[in-house]
Amino acid sequence: MTDVERLFRTYNTALVRYLTRRLGDRDWAEEVAQETFVRALRQTSIQNERAWLFAVATNLVRDEARKDSRRRKHLALLAEQERESVVEPEETGLERAQEAAMARKAVDALAERDRLALLMREEGLDYNEIAEALQLSPGSVGTTLSRARRRLVESYEALQKDGEAREKHAAS
Amino acid sequence: MQHPDEGTIHAWVDGALTAEEAAQIDAHVKDCAECAAAVAEARGFIAASSRILTALDNAPRGVIPAAAPAKRRLDPMVWRIAASVLVLAGGTLVVVRNQGTRGTQETASTLTMDTSGSVAAFNARVESTHAEAAKPNPSIGNRVDLPTLTVPSMPKPAPTAQKSAAPSGGAPARRVAQAPAPASVSGFLPRTAVVASEGVAADAAVGSGEPLKVIGSPQRIGANVTLYEIGGDTVTLAESRPVALSGVVGSDAAAARMQVELRGKTAATRNNVVGQAAGAAQPVAAQPVAPPPPVAAAPVEDAARPEDSNVVHTISWVDPVTRNTLTLSGRMSEARLQLIRLRIEKERAAAKKTP
Repeated sequence: MTDVERLFRTYNTALVRYLTRRLGDRDWAEEVAQETFVRALRQTSIQNERAWLFAVATNLVRDEARKDSRRRKHLALLAEQERESVVEPEETGLERAQEAAMARKAVDALAERDRLALLMREEGLDYNEIAEALQLSPGSVGTTLSRARRRLVESYEALQKDGEAREKHAAS
Repeated sequence: MQHPDEGTIHAWVDGALTAEEAAQIDAHVKDCAECAAAVAEARGFIAASSRILTALDNAPRGVIPAAAPAKRRLDPMVWRIAASVLVLAGGTLVVVRNQGTRGTQETASTLTMDTSGSVAAFNARVESTHAEAAKPNPSIGNRVDLPTLTVPSMPKPAPTAQKSAAPSGGAPARRVAQAPAPASVSGFLPRTAVVASEGVAADAAVGSGEPLKVIGSPQRIGANVTLYEIGGDTVTLAESRPVALSGVVGSDAAAARMQVELRGKTAATRNNVVGQAAGAAQPVAAQPVAPPPPVAAAPVEDAARPEDSNVVHTISWVDPVTRNTLTLSGRMSEARLQLIRLRIEKERAAAKKTP
């Protein structure tokens, strides 16, 4: 197994999930993830793999992913294999679709740095990795995360209350 | 110790603090109800945000067009089928339009003429002399030459037809006679494809934008005569009611020869007409082309010579509805006359529809 294959198998799932949550589009997320691994190929040595990958992916989202179709083909193949082993969640019902829409709104309402730190943390990055990826001081990651979590939950609950109020209004 | 701030509590819950820092918080929270509540709240936020973020995992694919994966290319077979449908549709359109102008009977015979099949008959024509190529054939006329021209050049039928139709195009009739191995091509192609190719070529040439203008209608006893101007050329159309025949006269010499030939063939032509009227399965053109009679085999003036376009040519045909004989003559090649004939028929049909 080449180094990039190992990286891919280790981090692809988390990276795609992180990017999907960030972008709201699975295809786009996979594309950026693949581009990230392509970039990893060009790297002679990476100190902290996970932080590096998430940082590059984050930057790619910011700068618009560049294409490298030849190398991406191989990675797409690996992704295909991986997808087969992952049980896709069932088709969302109306309630789940509403939840997803509210979650998207709540996440979008966060400041970019808070959002990225939170999403990275959700993928298991430790505080040092998040600090490295987002170029923060390690001491401020806790504050960033606590703010992000609180705001996310509060926005989500507010949206939930709005929805319930609208339903009641429609029913009456 | 002081109450830890929210960030530190989160860091503690996340296990991000050093062992020493963690031990201090641990000791404080045990004794501080306020901080214990803050820790509980932090755990709640962590769990809730995880749950909220999980809801994002069912993100649809291809939401953002710019990032969508490359479009799947259509199977080449799909293109082939689409192309066939187009060709068929084009051919059908031409047939339908022909029905409008010439009548169903004529259309049926046109169809059969194109594909009568007859590779042997075709070969006989191709292998015959240049004189034979120019020889008038009462039952087939020049119309067969259109598919002959277009079939070997299937990808670009229209320009070929137009080129040979142009007065300055050299020796169109010769080109027809020497067309390389078209028999096998036309034999291989399905009937509809051949018909369509003719339709497309003729249609493109006729509808090529040359304005057709009536410039006069001189009086002549027993015939309606119309003078047309098209693309700088003048042609004369005479409509009369003589014996039913359709033929091509390539030159004065050929016209004389044709008279001889017609005498022998009139009976056969009549039979064909009767057969057509009776709805026989074999229309005129389905008859195999008879080998040239000895009299026609005599070397006559080669109608395919370069000055072909400077000679007055005449083509005649019978209107299937009125049974009138129409004669079109002009100082141009026969191929061009045929195209102009199609054009005139189209105009006449349009004029009939909207008098």
